[in-house]
This record gives sequence, structure tokens and C-alpha cells, in this order.
Amino acid sequence: MNAKLWAIVRREYLERVRTRGFLVATILGPVIMSALMTVPMLVARSSGKLLRVAVLDETGTLRARVEEALRSARFGDKPRFEVPPGSEEPLEVRQAELKKAVLDGRLDGYLHLPKDVLTSGVASYYGRNVSNRMDLGLLDRSTGEVLVGLRLADAGLDPAKVKDLTRPLDMTTIRLSAAGEHEDRGIASLIFSITLMMILYTSILMWGQLVMTSVIEEKTSRVIEVMASGVPSTQLLWGKLLGVGAAGLTQFLVWALSLLVLSLVTVGQAAGDFRMPESSPLVLVSFVLFFLLGFFFYAALYASIGAAVNTVQEAQNFVFPIVMPLIIGLMCFTAVLESPDGGLAITLSMLPFLAPLIMFLRIVVLTPPWWQIALSLLLLGFGILAVVWVAARIYRVGILMYGKKPTFPELVRWVRHS
Amino acid sequence: MNDNALVLKGIRKAFAGHVAVQDLSLQVPRHCVFGLLGPNGAGKTTTLRMVMDILGPDAGTIEILGRPADHAARDRIGYMPEERGLYPRMVLEEQLVFMAAIKGVPRKEAEKRLGPWLERFSLVDWRKRKTNELSKGMQQKAQFIATVLHEPEVLIMDEPTSGLDPVGMDVMRDAMLDLRRGGTTIVLSSHQMDTVERLCDRVALINRGEKILDGAVSEVKARHGKNTVALAFEGDGSFIELLPGVAKVTDFGQYLEVRLRDGHDPQALLNEAAARLRLRRFEIVQPSLHDIFVETVTRHGKEAA
Repeated sequence: MNAKLWAIVRREYLERVRTRGFLVATILGPVIMSALMTVPMLVARSSGKLLRVAVLDETGTLRARVEEALRSARFGDKPRFEVPPGSEEPLEVRQAELKKAVLDGRLDGYLHLPKDVLTSGVASYYGRNVSNRMDLGLLDRSTGEVLVGLRLADAGLDPAKVKDLTRPLDMTTIRLSAAGEHEDRGIASLIFSITLMMILYTSILMWGQLVMTSVIEEKTSRVIEVMASGVPSTQLLWGKLLGVGAAGLTQFLVWALSLLVLSLVTVGQAAGDFRMPESSPLVLVSFVLFFLLGFFFYAALYASIGAAVNTVQEAQNFVFPIVMPLIIGLMCFTAVLESPDGGLAITLSMLPFLAPLIMFLRIVVLTPPWWQIALSLLLLGFGILAVVWVAARIYRVGILMYGKKPTFPELVRWVRHS
Repeated sequence: MNDNALVLKGIRKAFAGHVAVQDLSLQVPRHCVFGLLGPNGAGKTTTLRMVMDILGPDAGTIEILGRPADHAARDRIGYMPEERGLYPRMVLEEQLVFMAAIKGVPRKEAEKRLGPWLERFSLVDWRKRKTNELSKGMQQKAQFIATVLHEPEVLIMDEPTSGLDPVGMDVMRDAMLDLRRGGTTIVLSSHQMDTVERLCDRVALINRGEKILDGAVSEVKARHGKNTVALAFEGDGSFIELLPGVAKVTDFGQYLEVRLRDGHDPQALLNEAAARLRLRRFEIVQPSLHDIFVETVTRHGKEAA
């Protein structure tokens, strides 16, 4: 490699890697990520406190059965409900008593079964917390089963037999790809793909922004004229992109390694049967590739903004129109997930400013035809060259411009005339 | 073999409606110290930036060391811009090695050359410190090292003495003269005439983007030196100002400096003064560059107007 370019890459890399921010993010990143992954699981598994519920029964016949059903209801392999023994007091007295118990905190809630519950199928739950979907779902199902059982018995059918006969289909989904068959973990793999895309999105923006501030710093410290007198602006720009990009990759590498170690040691134990969805080599390679290319594309734009303005504050106006397409891409992701091989998804994944997110997402959820990946990469490559070409011109003019912030028409003039 | 370090032919640069440099041609011979003079806004910095390809000329050609200017040729130049700048958070030693590296010097070689320079500028104790921990004066010296560490054949310095204290100025001047003895061509722009007068062999004066004077310092002085007289006397000399042929009288206390109009003979002034005063001194002197500068620029300004 060209010795000057190498010197710049080296400097940029070391300058990024040696900052305190980099160290903190690199070390804390995996800690926070694994916390984000394990804590909800731990909470879900351990939330050992049982929900104390009572049953207020107007029919006078259902209470014992429902209470029994709730006691035996299992979530995973653990009971969820604690049902204090009921009493045979008059209804109004009982209701007032339960209300008071809930408000006092002696009960979490009570289930109200009206007189016609068997025919209408309508009941109510009164509780302090009614947003615990999982628990209420279980409550609903267990009670429902009792009612259905009674109705079946009334019609002269054997509930156990009916349950057996109406057993729903248990369908597993298996993803076929060139790399082989994978049993798809459905929701887990969906979360996995979205998480990867979000990491890609935030990293591209974060590292791109860093390139911009570093250009502004070079302008502020006036070292930029010395640099410009030694190295052509295109090389200066590439040196920055490669050096900062390498710093980004270093961080990913550290994260990946420590996540691997962490998931082997701690997460593995805590999560039990939960495993990271297998990530194929293709996904890993395209993550690195699309991070670098997406970063080059957006960082070059960021660099030209940095060269055109004097302060980070001034830059904000220009940043928005540049980040806009990336945000739009992010908002399209549900549509892309819906039909990753549809016309919209294919089109979006070909646009250089969206390809890093959309093509990557498509690769994660299905393996697009190789020619589509190749075409998308090719277009992105041309996009990068075009953006760097424009940015180098703005850079060359902008580095000598101090004072007034340029307008967009002025920027266009800079590109045309330099 | 071309004996010029720099040759500028008809270069021109205009910014949004105003012409900064107009059809400027210059030759800087090798191994000399060349002063590019001119008032603020004359186009000195723009000219030097065009030599360094920080700005592209609208017209004209630039040759460096006998070759058309390209990046390889520019690697043989050391350029210190008027706006000094170093990376604030870089360790001094790394910074200087880096600056040499972007001029194509291998790291090892740059590290080897660095020692003597740090010693010369007493920066040895600071080599592991961050640049922004250095004082202003030290940063100036560091900047100079950054400019010369790749051992350029041509050293271009834009306003090298601005912002320097007298001690720093002496250190830098000595360093420049050493380099010159070693064969380096030095081009410096300045509006501080005393610096230029002490350092330069050749000067070019530009004003409003045009060259209005050019040549060896001795030659330039000789060209302007035939009609300035230093005069010391006893008695009332106020009549001198009114004599025909006297353009300007400057009273320096100990003596008067009398500038004669072109074509007037100092001999006439001597006769007149000898007849009316008791003379202690009558000498035809060379004007200072400062005077030449002011006079030429003022005349050029009037002509242009």
C-alpha cells in the first residue's frame, strides 16, 4: 500500500483506539448486551412470586373447579397462581371484602364469574395490575378450559377425548438455504436479525459522525492545511475512512469474542435452553462487509459536511438530510421482512444508500440469489466511489473556508469548480 | 540542469469576482533565500498555496525543481502555512514522525533524524508529551521540525516570524541559515521588512496580485539608492524641504533623510546646504527595504487607481 496512505490509516486508527470512549464502549458493550439478553430471561424464569387471586362466583357451582384449575395451572413447569380458600358469604359482602383485600395488597386480583358465564362466556378480572399479559392469558385459558369442559359434559361428550381429538397441528418451520437446513426458532431469529440490523445502523451512524468531528477538529486546529499540502484530498479521505473503519471492526471483533466467551460461561447457564440462533458464515461475512461499505458511504458524506462547516453545531443542519435515507431504510424493515423476496425489498436492497441495511436484512432472513447480492455490492461500490469523489472536492475547498457556513447551492459550486 | 527551485509562469487565481493573483511570474533560483513581500491581501498566501496545490491556479504553470509540479515534486518541499497547526492530542514524537511519513520518509528513518532536532530546540523532555501540553513557543518550534524533518530541498514558509518572541525568532533564523548553508532553498513571505532584509538574497514585491518589483536585494537597493541623502548639520535646515528637487524629508533627530526627485543631482543639494549650513555629514545612502516597499506600493496604488 501507498506509504502515505498507510501512515494516515495508522494515525487515524491509533487515535480512535486510544481514546477512553473507545475503551469504555468496547469493554462495556458486551457487558450491557449480555445483560440485556440475560436479565429478562432471568426475570421471566425466576419471578417466583405467585399471583394471589380469588374467585367470586355468582353461579354458585363453578368456584371449586375454577380454583382447582388455577392452582394446577403451570407456566413452563411452575405454578403461577396462589388461590386462598374461598368462603360462602353473601355475594355483596364477599365482593366488598375482595375489593378491600386487593386494594390492601393481600390479594393481587379476583376473577368475577357472572351468573350466565356458562352461556355468555363473559367474565371479568379485577386487579391492581392488569398489564401482565402472560399471567392473565394463563388465567383466561385455565378458566376457559373449565367452562368448555362443563359445556362438553352437558352435551354428553367426554372432555378428555375431545381435547385429544381437537389437538392443534404442531408445525415447526425449517429454513432452506444454500448452506443447508436450519430449524428456525421463529421469534428468536426475528429478534436476532432486527438486533443485527440495529447494530449495523447505529454503528454506521456513530462511526460516520466520528469522522465528521475529526475533520472539524482538523479544521479547528488548522492542521488541515499542512495535511492538504502533503497529500491529495482523496487519499486523505480514504486514509480516514480506512483507519476509522478498522477501529470499528476492532470493536466488533472484541465484542464478538467476549460475547462468545460470555455465552459459553454465564449466559449458557442462565439461559438454559435458550441459544443464540446459529449465524451462518454468510451472515457474519456480510455483516462485516456491509458495515464497512455502509460506513464508507456515509462517513464520506459526513466528512464533506465536516469540511464545509466550522463547528459541530453548524453541522447538524446538514446531517439530517444525509441520515434521512438511512432512517427511511430502517422504517422499511417490516415490509422487507414480510416479503424479503418481493419487488420492494429487491429494489430497496439495490439502492446504495439503503443496501447496507436492507440487503443485509434480506441475507439474514433468506439467502437472496447471488446475482442480487453481487449487483447490490457493485452498485454500492460505485456509490461509494461517487460519494468519495464529491466529498474529496468539497473537502479540498472547504478546508480553507472559515467563518460563514456555506449553503447547499454553494456546496454544489464547490464540487463543480474544484 | 535547471537552476531554479521554483518557476511560476503567468499564474492567476480569482475568487468569486475578485482577482487574488494576476498573471504572476516568478523565478526562485536554487540555494537562495527568497522573500515574497507585499502588504496584507496582496496575494502572497494564495501564491504559496498554489505552489503547494492547496489551491489550483486558474491559469499558468508551476515548475518545482525543474519539473512540472506534481505530488512527487511537492514531497521535496517543506511547507509551513501561516495558520500553524498540529494534531493537538498526538504525542509530539509520533506527530513529527507522522508528518515526515506523509512526505514519504520511512518511520525508522524519521525517528533517527528526530533526535538532533529535538535537542536543538530543547524539546527532548517533551517528546512523549501530547502536543497540546506544549507552550505556544514550543509548538512553533515543533511546527518547524514538522516542516523540515523530511529534509526538503525547498522550504516554503508563510509569515515564519509571526507570533514568535525574539528568542524564538533567533532560534528559527539560525536554523534557517543552517539549512541554507546545507543547500536548501528558502522561500518566505513576510511583511516584516527587517527580517527579510537580514535574511534574503532576493525579493519580489507583490501588490494587489501583481508583481511590482523583483530582483536581488542589493540590486533592488542600488536601483532605488541613488537619490537618498543623509544629512547632519548645525543651524536651521527648514529651508531644505522647500528646495527644488526635494521629494521628502524625514527627520530622524540625529540626521535628516532627504529623498530627491528623479533626475535631480545630489550635488546641487550639497552645494546649497554647504552654502547655508555647517555640515557634519553628507552621505548618499541606500534606502531600507521598508522605504522601498512603502514607496513602491504607494506609487503602484496610485497608478492602479
